[in-house]
Formats: sequence, C-alpha cells, structure tokens
Amino acid sequence: MGAFKKVYPFAAIVGQEEMKRGLLLNAVNPKLSGILIRGEKGTAKSTAVRALAALLPEIEVVAGCVYSCDPDDITTMCASCRERLAAGEELPRARRKMRVVDLPVSATEDRVVGTLDIEQAIKKGEKHFEPGVLAQANRGILYVDEVNLLDDHIVDVLLDSAAMGVNTVEREGVSFTHPANFILVGTMNPEEGELRPQLLDRFGLCVNITGIPDPRLRVEVVKRRAAFEEDPEGFARQWEAEEERLRRQIVAAKALLPKVKISDEMLFLIARIAVEMGVDGHRADLVMMKAAKTTAALRGREEVTEDDVRSSVDLALLHRMRRRPFQEMDIDREKLQVIMGR
Amino acid sequence: MGSYQRFTFPFSAITGQEKMKKGLLLNAVNPRLGGVLVRGEKGTAKSTAVRALAALLPEIEVVVGCPFSCDPNDPARLCALCRGRLAAGKRLEKTRRRVQVVDLPVSATEDRVVGSLDFEHAIRHGRPRFEPGLLARANRGIIYVDEVNLLDDHIVDVLLDAAAMGVNVVEREGISYSHPAEFILVGTMNPEEGDLRPQLLDRFGLCVQVEGVTDPGERVEIARRREAFDADPLGFIAQWSEEEQRLRERVAAARRLLPAVTIAPELLDLVARLSLEAFVAGHRADIMMAAAARTIAAWNGRTEVIAGDVYEAAELVLFHRLREAPPPPPEQPEPPAEEQEEPPEQGEEDDSREQEPPEQPAETPPLPEQQDGGARNTEQPEGREEEQEQHISPPAAPQETVFAVGQPFPVKRISHDRDRILRKGSGRRSRTRTASKVGRYVRSTMQRKNDDLAFDATLRAAAPYQRRREKNGVAIAIETADIREKVREKRIGNFLLFVVDASGSMGAQQRMVETKGAILSLLLDAYQKRDRIGMVAFRGNTAETLLPPTSSVEMAHKLLEELPTGGKTPLSAGLIKAYEVAKAHLYKDPNIEPLLIIISDGKGNVSMGADKPLAEARRAAEIIRAEERIKTLVVDVEKSGFLTFGLARELAVVLGAEYYKIDDLKADTLVQAVKEMS
Repeated sequence: MGAFKKVYPFAAIVGQEEMKRGLLLNAVNPKLSGILIRGEKGTAKSTAVRALAALLPEIEVVAGCVYSCDPDDITTMCASCRERLAAGEELPRARRKMRVVDLPVSATEDRVVGTLDIEQAIKKGEKHFEPGVLAQANRGILYVDEVNLLDDHIVDVLLDSAAMGVNTVEREGVSFTHPANFILVGTMNPEEGELRPQLLDRFGLCVNITGIPDPRLRVEVVKRRAAFEEDPEGFARQWEAEEERLRRQIVAAKALLPKVKISDEMLFLIARIAVEMGVDGHRADLVMMKAAKTTAALRGREEVTEDDVRSSVDLALLHRMRRRPFQEMDIDREKLQVIMGR
Repeated sequence: MGSYQRFTFPFSAITGQEKMKKGLLLNAVNPRLGGVLVRGEKGTAKSTAVRALAALLPEIEVVVGCPFSCDPNDPARLCALCRGRLAAGKRLEKTRRRVQVVDLPVSATEDRVVGSLDFEHAIRHGRPRFEPGLLARANRGIIYVDEVNLLDDHIVDVLLDAAAMGVNVVEREGISYSHPAEFILVGTMNPEEGDLRPQLLDRFGLCVQVEGVTDPGERVEIARRREAFDADPLGFIAQWSEEEQRLRERVAAARRLLPAVTIAPELLDLVARLSLEAFVAGHRADIMMAAAARTIAAWNGRTEVIAGDVYEAAELVLFHRLREAPPPPPEQPEPPAEEQEEPPEQGEEDDSREQEPPEQPAETPPLPEQQDGGARNTEQPEGREEEQEQHISPPAAPQETVFAVGQPFPVKRISHDRDRILRKGSGRRSRTRTASKVGRYVRSTMQRKNDDLAFDATLRAAAPYQRRREKNGVAIAIETADIREKVREKRIGNFLLFVVDASGSMGAQQRMVETKGAILSLLLDAYQKRDRIGMVAFRGNTAETLLPPTSSVEMAHKLLEELPTGGKTPLSAGLIKAYEVAKAHLYKDPNIEPLLIIISDGKGNVSMGADKPLAEARRAAEIIRAEERIKTLVVDVEKSGFLTFGLARELAVVLGAEYYKIDDLKADTLVQAVKEMS
C-alpha cells in the first residue's frame, strides 16, 4: 500500500531528538502503546512517522491470517488461529515488516471496526465479518494524522479497543471479537483544539515539538529537503548506511529487552515522581517503567539506570500532568529536579 | 462466528482499590444488587477489575442450547423455546456454566443489542427467525459497558427499557418476539468525559469512585505485577490461581449463606434514616441498601447484619443518589469535583487547592454535603424564580448580593452550571439526527432520504422473500421496497461566537472581570462539549476577530486573559464583524447554527459611516436578525442603579435576542440559556 512514493529517511531528519527517540522506543517495544506528537505545522511530524515505517523490525505472523497473529503466542491469537492450533494443525508461518496502517480523519465507523461482508451476503446469502482498519493494525502501528480532528464517535471506538487490545463488534448484524493490539501514533497541531483526556491517556508517550531555532540547523533542514526532492533515490542511498545502523539497533534492543531488569530503587523513584508530580492513575508509572527499560535496551544495557528513568519522564508525563482547564501542558522542571535529586 | 478469548489479569492480583473490588464482588454474590458503576480517573484498573471479575463468578444451572440461558428450575421465567419444549413433553437438559460477562461496545447498533431477523435463515428457508442479540446473551448474566457515559442515547433507552421490565420485547423487521432479559449492569467511566443520564445512573445499584494509589510502595507493587503479567500472562495467571480459587470459594460460600442473613428492625430504621439524610428520590436506595448490607454480612460470613454493614452499604448505594436540597428537583449529587470543573484563575490563591475535594465525598456519604446544601437551599429558590421572570421581563432590581460580594465568579457555581444541564437529561452534548452521511449508525429506517444504504437492514427486509424472487445468479435479490437507510446520530457542538465590548466603559466597576468570568464559565461548558468557539472584540474605532472559529478552548482562554479594555465603543462595527464571521462559518458548515453572545452595555458611540452610532447599530442588528439561522443572546453589563439607559435591552429587542443582565450570570442562568438556545 502506498509504497510508490519515496519516503524521506528517518535518519536524515534534523533535530527533534525527543520525537525520534519516542518513535524508536515504540518500534522496539510495542507495549509502550504509542506516541502523540504535538507541534506546529511543518515540524516533520508526519514525515517522521512515515519514515519510521522503513525502520520497523520484521515480525513473525501466521500466514494468511487477517489479524497477523503471532504463531508463538496463544494468548493473543484470534479465534480461528486458536481453533486451528487446538485441532493439532501446524500454523503456517511468514515473516514480514510491522505495518503502519493509516486511519484517515474521514474514516467511517464501519471501516474502522469492521462490518458485515456485503459481497458474501449478496453472493451466498451468508453472514461474514469483514475486518476493518483495527484488524489490519493488529500488531502494527495505527497512525492518525490530525488526531484531534477525528470524529468523536470514531474516538470512542478507538478508546474501547486501544484499552484492552480487543475489538468487539456488535453492529450491522454481526457479532465478532478479535485481537486489536496496536501502537497508536498520532500527530496533531494543538492550535486546532485539544484531544479528549481519555484519548490522550491512551498514548503511551507524548512529545511537544517546535520549530528549530538554530539558524544553521534550519539551513540544514532546507538543504536536505531540497536534495531529497531533487533525487529521492540518491538521497535515500546516501542515508542507507545510517538507516541500516538504526535498524540493527532496533533489532538488537528488541532482543535485549526481555532481559532488562529494573531495580526496586528505580521503581520507587518512578512511583515517587508519579505521585509527587500529580498524575492521574497508574498508567504513568507503567509507561515510565517500560520506557526506561526500553531506553536501557536501546543503549545496550541490561540494567535500568537513573538516567534511563530521567529520559523517560518527559515522554511519559507530559500529557498526564493534572491540569486545570485551559492550562497548557507543561512539566514543572524544578520540582522534577528536586524529586530526582533526592 | 468466532469469539476471541482473552487472558485477563487475575482479580486477586489487583493491588488496592478495595472499595471497587468490594462493589464488584458483592454483585457476584448477590445478582439482585443491580450492578455497579465504577467512576474514576484514567488508568486505575477499572476495566481490568471488571474483566477479571468474570473468572470469579459463580456457576449457574442453565438449559442446554437455550440462547437465553434459562434456569431449568424456574418454570415461571422460561423463554418461549424452553416452554415449548416442556409443553411438547420433552425434558430440559441441564448444564452448569459460569455467569457470563457480555461486552456492550459503545459502537453497538440497535439490531445487535435487542436482536433481529436472522437473514441467513430467512434466505434459506423463507421464514423469519429471531436472532438473539446481546440482551439475550446477557440474561442471568452481566452486561459490561466500558466508557458507559459515551454510550449512545438510543442504546441507553433500549437498555433501560429491558432493565426495568426484565424482558426484552422485540417488534421490528417482521419479527415479534419477547424473551427474558434479566441482567446486572456494570459500567466504568471517566467523569471527565461527561456524566451519565440520571435514569441510567439510578439503574446502577452501587457506585464506587476510584482514585490512583498514592503510596509509592504500593505503586511499585502495581508496576511489578503488571510487568510480570505482560512478560508471561499464562505463568502469572497460574501463579495467582490459588488466590483466585480462594476468592471464588468465598463468593460461593457467601452466596449460599445469603438467604439466611437477617437484618434487625432497628437497622432497617438506620437504613431509612440514612436515605432520608441523603434526600434520595424514591425507595430504591433503601431497598438496595438493605440488600447490600445483607450481602456484606454474608461476605463476612455472618448471618446477622451489623450497623457497620449498613454504613458500608450506604457508601456504595448513596454515592450516586445523594441530592443536596429537600425541595427536590430531580437531581443527582455533584460529582466529586474533577480538575476540570475547577474554574481557572480567579480565587486561585485562596482556594484552588481546597476546592477540589476528591477524597472527601465518598467517605461519609450524606454529611459533608450538608453544609453546602444548606447554604444552597436558601439561595436557590430565589435564583430560580428570578430566572423564570427574566425570560419575560428584566428584573426590577436584582438583589442577589449573596454570591456577588467582590468575587467575580464563585468557584462552585461553574461546576453547578454544568451539573444542572446534565440533570435536564439532555446529555452533555447536543445530538442530532444528521442528514449527511456522517455520524454514528444507530439504526435503520424505511424512509428514503439520502441513499445512505443500511445494508444489513436491507438484507433482513429482503430475506424472507428470497424463495419467491427471481435471482440472477446471486443469492439474494433486493427490490426497491427492501431498501433501508441508516439513521445516524452525530454529536454536534455549537458554534459560540463571543462578541465582546472591550471599550473603556467596560472597565468600570469590575464589569470586565464579571464578563470574563461569564465567558469562562461558558468556555468550560464548551470544553466539555467540544463546541467551536470564536471571539470578536470591539474597542476604539474598530472591531477585530480575535479568534476565528476553532475548537481550541485554550486559545480562547489565553486571548481572554490578555484582552485589554479602553477607548470608545464601536458597537455597530462589532455587530457587523460578528455577522461576517457567523455568515462565513455558515457557508462552511451549514449544519451548525452560530450563536452570537453579545456582551455589552449597548452604549455605542462610534459609527462606521455617516449615521449616528446608535442608529447604525440598530441597522446592523436588523441585518443580523434577517439571517434566521443566526441566533443571538445579549448580556447586558450595565449596572442597575438610578440612571440606566437600557440600551442593551433595546438592542436585544431589535435583534430578537434573548436578553440577560450580567447579574443573572451569577444565578448561573447563562450557561443554561445557551444550552437551551442551541
């Protein structure tokens, strides 16, 4: 799908380190459940997300399964794969890249959750479920550009399945449930309105990005963009080595991640940060923990250090800080310093 | 069709949140408790707990193959199928299975909830057959609605209907059917997203409020357990299986004990007293409280209810039924103030922290509200009368100094504004049937309007005739008469365009402060409903569009804070500018009718052309009035005193606008007025 247009290489994006880091963390650890990128127009938000697709690792799937089930994990298998497995069948395997599935703002609900298969109904008079975008996005990335403009009722649907990793369909004559574990990636321009708090919380991480103030870097941005537009393929070749390095780093981190340990000391630090910074609920702790572990893995370590925690705080807390209405998203740096320094 | 089985986090492994767990377990013990509503902030294991409960539910006896899970030992409540089998002299085969938790997703359509025609069967056999829906599956079980406050009004109606009667009556698509539908309703919600309709709220027997744990040690434990579960779900479940089994046995034991539990008459008195103190409506609370107290006793292995059980039950039962005032309009308690409801800015230094009472309300149900409620009593009736009058004529002289003294907008007021709207039962957003093809598909209709084909409904309409119809190689032939269209509902926001007088006269006597306060309370409301807003201000010689239509309430707030005042009053320019903005917006989105909120004293003293300022303003007002789709509301900021000009009132008459005085705002009518108009 859409592979015709050349994509700007991830490695060639100038600056915006926080955003790039957030995206890479998600590529390594899907359990981080996504990232929200907030920023003004023209700050390479969408470019970065599209570029990420080229870096995503391969995953093992059941060949031919619409939900891309993991042949080795019975706990997340769709009903049909599980039945096949239970019947003693050896599930056929295939390897392919993790997908980035686009959810356009204009999407209709039936396309998102899935609906009655019209063709089967007309031709055979039978009732079948036709999977929607959520099915495609299972074990991949669901990308919503301008996520704050998404229709309210589509957001409701997303909330439902993003929370539990399951899509329950009870509509238009069909009743169906299937796994829908996706990494939710959204980009938005806050000038157009904010996200609903409940949806905000579903994004594991969040970054605020602004244009780069350094004139030299700005010049670099323009230069690279021009070079890319002039000769996309040549530009891509030029950056291929760097891309490949990133790709290998992701794969290595993915392999290392299950071995990464986090000490009680670090966990207490995380809990203290969450409590004292005043966040809602417990998702912040969990995300900080996962982000810190993933950061350690990306840095090639098996032990989470304070620095790993420190670098996860912003990503995990920014959108979870309790705010009064109309207050801007912000983190109280000084307070954080005090907590971290203790 | 297949269903996907999930592996859930074990109930016994959930750390803290004792009250929520108790509420859920009590329902597992006693299905007559009428379910539970779990309210709370994001990420507090609400959904996790409900899903985990499924594993602890007791087993029940059901008739084999019955889609409604009939109880073979209860002939009075058998479904038609089972009764038919009995009448035919057959025996009802029994089996045992766990009580089921049926998920009701917020995207559900009506046909799947109540059940509808089975089109496969109809095509094959040419006869209609009822295909059971969610309500059938949930009979004798639990219906779980995550984000229950987002559920469509229409689906809520259906649920309420069935819940009230314990029967689901289906009369649709050539199907006439009824079946037992007794279920426990369990819902989770985050109040930030708006509140529930009172009728639905009352359906929940119990209600608990959850909050995040603040003890770091406990938080670490939560993180550890979650980590372990994510790393190896099956292993984690196995590790907790003993603990789960213990809980399961306790549920079963309490269930057996329950019929033997008695409650002493003096404790029933206590129940009644607690209900009275909480000013609850009707008797459901009393009944529920007694039942809950008995269940709590059974849970603790006692056959005698003690006072402690009653108090514990009261917390669960009264939380969502509390009302504040004796002369009872049908109200629900103010939900414990969320961050959101806390007003921005004013009064920050003195009370912003103390004003958010998340810990306070649930603990001791009726009393903490008392003080508050008492105070309101004396105020409210007065305020109400006044607001009635003012729809017709301006008040002689509003004397409501009670709230006004110095403080522009009392904190509590604002959340009350919202609350009162909710109580009107209209929900938190305007919903409308949309003519365009956007919005949520809720059900179908035979009316043809815009070729928005409801394929499933069309199929069901066509299905019974297939045997007689000519088919050209396809399985199903559809004729024009079969076509059904989708009925969609869309929540629409409103477009509120604030037209603010920022001239020098507004600076006098804190008028601007009050005005800003008023706009803020409206912004808060807009924030919840995701309204579009815009702002036009006029001062000096011109009017300016400060904020083009946007949904960013934050932007509006920032601009409002920075809005300077001073200079002359170019009223006509302001009106014309507002008209242009509203018109432009109408072109873009004809579905949304703009509401101009004009905040001024009406003393225009600058004109754009050669006319006198006031005459020009009058002409501008006439132009606006001529556009019927634009509604207007005038807020008069002129202070009442010996010398009043009443110019804003005249303006309102010319505009054909609703008219309010700034003092009314403190009687919190403005938000309501806007709500009514849009």
